[in-house]
This record gives sequence, C-alpha cells and structure tokens, in this order.
Amino acid sequence: MSTLPQMPKSWRLESKPHKFCPGCGHGLVLKALGEAIDELGIQDKVAFGCDIGCSLLAWDFFNVDTVQTHHGRTTPVMTGVKRANPDVICIAYMGDGGGYAIGSQHLVNAAARNEKITAILVNNCNYAMTGGQMAPTTLPGMKTETTPYGRDVEQSGYPTQGPEMVAAITRDGAYVARGTIANLKQLKSYLKKALENQLAGNGFSFVEALASCPTNWRTNAKDTWAFVEQEMPKYFKVGELKNPAEKGDE
Amino acid sequence: MNVALKTFSHEGEKGSWTVFPGLCKGCGLCVEKCPKDCLKWSDQLGVYGTPTIQPDMDQCIACGICANVCPDCAITVEKNK
Repeated sequence: MSTLPQMPKSWRLESKPHKFCPGCGHGLVLKALGEAIDELGIQDKVAFGCDIGCSLLAWDFFNVDTVQTHHGRTTPVMTGVKRANPDVICIAYMGDGGGYAIGSQHLVNAAARNEKITAILVNNCNYAMTGGQMAPTTLPGMKTETTPYGRDVEQSGYPTQGPEMVAAITRDGAYVARGTIANLKQLKSYLKKALENQLAGNGFSFVEALASCPTNWRTNAKDTWAFVEQEMPKYFKVGELKNPAEKGDE
Repeated sequence: MNVALKTFSHEGEKGSWTVFPGLCKGCGLCVEKCPKDCLKWSDQLGVYGTPTIQPDMDQCIACGICANVCPDCAITVEKNK
C-alpha cells in the first residue's frame, strides 16, 4: 500500500482507471500532456477543453478546469476563454473527426487568425467512438466499418494532412508539429514547446499526435504497434513543421 | 477514491517492479515493448477482468520502458541504486 502509481501530478487519481479502451493512444497523449503541464508548473492556470468523440472521455481526467463542447467547437470556446482572460493557458483537445471533419472550419479560422491557444489533435485514423467509420484521416486502402474493401482514393480522396494545412495558413509565431505515441519523449517535447509558445504569446500552437485504436482497428498489441510505428508515419510525416524559436523559419 | 491501490510487487537484482491491478486493463502494449521479452500474462485479473502482467525478475533490467508505454500508469519500476 506504500507505493503510489507514477502518474503525472496533474492527473486526477479519483477518476482512474480512465475511461479509454485498453491500449488507447489517448492515455499516452494525455500522459505526455500531464507531464508537460507538471514540468511547466502551470496546473493552476490551465483551462482544458475537450471535444465530442473519444476525446470527451477526458472530461474528468485532469485536476484542471475542464469544459466539454460539441463537434470541434472546443477551439472557439478556448479562443473565447483566452480572449476574456489572457492569463489562462487554454488547451483545446480534440480528435481527428472533430478537428478535421465536423469542426475543421473552427480549426482553420482559429489558425488563420493566429489565436494564442494550444490545440492538440489526436489522430487515430477513424471515428472511434461511433464504431470505427472512415474519417478524413483514414489511410488509403485501410479497412474500416464504412470502407470494408479499404479506402478508395478515387471515391473518397486522400487523407487530410492537418499540420501541413495549419502550417500553410498560419502567420509568424505559430508552432506546428506532428508527434506520435511511438516516440513519447519527442511527443512530450512538442507538447511542451506548444505550451511554451502560448506562454510566450507568440501565436497559434498546434500538435497532432498519431495514436492507436486497437478496439476499432481490431488489432492485438503487436499489430497495434506495427501500425502506429510503420504504417501511419508513411503518410503522416512526424516532425516539427513550424517553430518560431528556430531561426530561418519563414 | 474508487482506485483499489492493491499492488503486486516483484523484487529483482536490478530493481523492484510493481503492477496495480486496479489500473491495468490488459492491453499488452508493455509486453510488446519489453526489450528483454520478460513480461508474461499473469493469473491475477485486472480492472476489466482481463489478465494483468508479471515479469520474470531474473531477466528484468528495470529499464522502465513498460511503465513509460502504459497508457494507464499501472506499472511502477524502481531501479536499485
């Protein structure tokens, strides 16, 4: 009874085990985010907004002020909080369905206005909460509930490359990166830089995290890692796309 | 607090290894990531009624990768100093 779980301090122990499926990438992304919040010591200043979809299960995840909104509207809600009280560190947390499909308008416009918030988008290649339908990020040829023969790019186009899009439309001062749960140290450094970018008041910070969904991919642990480590980075290139701290950018 | 902080600890030469069955969902991500391949399924059941894991402490090097990749923070590894 003496040992306590090695959780990030900002995690809310009362709500654990959390509500995500076994092997879900959300847990790892939120672990990296929790550690980044701990290291920056900003737990009392954070407002955390989660979206519809699997990401809403994070509504009681942290010991921070949390709001849950509808279908990609977490970005404008967090924008409003930031404009009303610029001292609050606003984190908009969403999934690929909420961010790239239903709520893409909000993401695009918040990025174009260079709002000083941090948006974190978890990409698991499908709409996981509704049972694994095809999402904008489903890989070409990938089988889902609504593409039983694999995604046909002639019919439904190519997957959305969110960070590339956001990097193209944001101005100076924006931070854009794509991390993966296969490299948690790197993902944590990206999330930390995104929060630091907001603390410095530079502009929009956007981090996409490639994550696993064993339940809807119908994979065991071995195939889950193989898909995250080998298949997803083939199309979604991991790395920093825009970093205002680096010279020579823009 | 609804977390049952029951623990199963294993002591080894390199360090101590602890699993919290009240947090472990039995996803198996740690089993695949273990560099020494020393994690095996246990007879103890986790929070969803799935098996938790147990290490072979003769092989465990207490690297802590299993604790790092656990989405539920169900594993704690402490290296012997």
